[in-house]
Amino acid sequence: MSKMMSRWGIDRNLLLLLGPALVLVVALFVWPFLYGIGVSLTPGPGREGFLSNYAAFLGDVRERASIWNTLWIAIPVTIANVLVAVPIAYRMRRPLKGQRPISAVFVVPMSLGVVLVAEGMLTFFGPAGWFNKVLLTLGVVNEPLQLVHNYIGVLISLFIAEFPVVFLILLGYASGIDPNLERAGRMLGAGAWQRFSRITLPLMMPGVAIAAALSFVATFAVFPSAVLVGEPAGATRVIALAAWQAAYERFDFGEASAIAITMAAIELVCVAAILLGRSRLYRGPTGGGKG
Amino acid sequence: MVERTEEAQRKSAAERPEPHIRRIWVKNLSKRFGDLVALKDFELEVEGGEFIGLLGPSGCGKTTALNCFAGLLAPDAGDIELDGESILSVPSERRRFGMVFQNYALFPHLSIARNVSFGLEMEGVGKTEVRERVEEVLSLVHLEEHRDKYPAQLSGGQQQRVALARAVVTRPRIILMDEPLSNLDAKLRLEMRTEIRRLHQTLGLTTIYVTHDQEEALSLSDRVVLMRDGTIQQVGPPKEVYAEPASAYAANFLGYRNLLPVKVTAAEGEHARVATQAGVEISGTLRDHLSPGEDAVAAIRPEDVSVVPPDRKEQGAFSGTVELAEFLGRDSELSVPGELGEPLIARTTGDWKVGSKVSLQLPPERLFVFTKEG
Repeated sequence: MSKMMSRWGIDRNLLLLLGPALVLVVALFVWPFLYGIGVSLTPGPGREGFLSNYAAFLGDVRERASIWNTLWIAIPVTIANVLVAVPIAYRMRRPLKGQRPISAVFVVPMSLGVVLVAEGMLTFFGPAGWFNKVLLTLGVVNEPLQLVHNYIGVLISLFIAEFPVVFLILLGYASGIDPNLERAGRMLGAGAWQRFSRITLPLMMPGVAIAAALSFVATFAVFPSAVLVGEPAGATRVIALAAWQAAYERFDFGEASAIAITMAAIELVCVAAILLGRSRLYRGPTGGGKG
Repeated sequence: MVERTEEAQRKSAAERPEPHIRRIWVKNLSKRFGDLVALKDFELEVEGGEFIGLLGPSGCGKTTALNCFAGLLAPDAGDIELDGESILSVPSERRRFGMVFQNYALFPHLSIARNVSFGLEMEGVGKTEVRERVEEVLSLVHLEEHRDKYPAQLSGGQQQRVALARAVVTRPRIILMDEPLSNLDAKLRLEMRTEIRRLHQTLGLTTIYVTHDQEEALSLSDRVVLMRDGTIQQVGPPKEVYAEPASAYAANFLGYRNLLPVKVTAAEGEHARVATQAGVEISGTLRDHLSPGEDAVAAIRPEDVSVVPPDRKEQGAFSGTVELAEFLGRDSELSVPGELGEPLIARTTGDWKVGSKVSLQLPPERLFVFTKEG
């Protein structure tokens, strides 16, 4: 046994060091997850069969729609975040004047939390909010735009909440690229767009994949903003809401667990797809050589 | 390999292609960074086909000058004319200059062939021609078999060759090199030095090469530009700069390792007598206008100091004792304190042991007397 362990580079000290972390991971993640799978496979009242909880969720058109509702929120928000964050991170890859205040403005929403952002949005984007008042005064619109309590509201809220993470990850990748690479590109005749598209963007792509995966997972699990600024009975009845209703309105823990496990499975598949794509990209050093 | 290179060099010397430009004229270029004067009234004319070595210690402005030529930095004042036309308003990407960076700056996500073809693709050269020209230049730097590898898979010397290939494949009007050899080990550095000079000759390039290494500058250049604090100290062919440094600073930088603080005691024409701090008088050659009583610096190269046995002491020689001896292969370098007060460094093929009594001769025509600098 100990011989085998040493062959794998494991010794007793390593196990001791790993111990606390292992206990936490098992207690807080592995055990609840397995427990959840167990509950999801235990037929609820009036059901029979091993997968009956899953059948109850996936067989119901309204319940099943929550999956599409969630994807329909998570995918556009993730794409929008990446599309907006890439050019800004690219622009800020070298220290600029006012770098710190600009970064602070981008990053503050992260510290506010979804609920506070939702509160602010209700006042700012509401029918009598500043945003609509400005548009009305300027004559851009004739009646207030409906920007909260619907699908758009959830998109805006999640965009604000997830942008900082995506931006910070991409800024890290962009500023880690050797500035001489772009200079070399210039000397070889590449204009600004060619330098971005052929040199910097390809070197940022691994970061784009990671940022997109994190943003997707976070938005896929959306719950508070779907309720607070969304339309929880309709277009923004997301999968987390479906699970919550099953558990705490109908007390159907079997189906609630089945929904939660389905949600985890969808997330895993999507993240795996993103990471598979990433593994086909160039992921080596972003420096141009020695020194 | 060496033979092949030498053969190529001899061959190319005969059939050297026409350079791509006739002349570049740098006029009074100046650049400041805040309070720091990086470049001041930099003036230089380069003929097409020349190899110019910009030499100086770090912070002397040589890289600033190079970046101004490249268009990566905008000078505060002055102009750069290429064949009679100012290029200051032309952005880097349209100057058609090649550049080799100190860290090579190869695109890590592109194969060697794609790195080399990058500039040609930017120019919109057709696919067939791109392939031919890339093959041609890769064979010129002996990297044909590495065309599909990525930069991280190559050694430092190979990466350097790729950087050279990438810079020359577009047939640039001028090629700028920023300390390209400083990241290589001693042996490779010599090899690549030959390679760079060979490429320069075979392709008829006009090269401006920045370095802090006097040996590199002297061995590669047609003309050496010695810089200090943003200004040019001396310009000339390597032989001239080496034999006749214009100042104590230039002498120091070009291997005059013996620099003695002295006082002029007599001056007539270019002959001078100076006294060392220990009060010993020596004869030398005046390189600046100096009068008796003035403080000065006497400079002599270690290889110009001759070391003879003490019994063969001639007039004007000084005795001393070998304190240190460094074996350098063909010869040795000795540190010899003695009559002069300060230890002198001498280079000699003789086999002197530490502790030996010797006599040192300083030929007056090889001992230069310069104004003392602040």
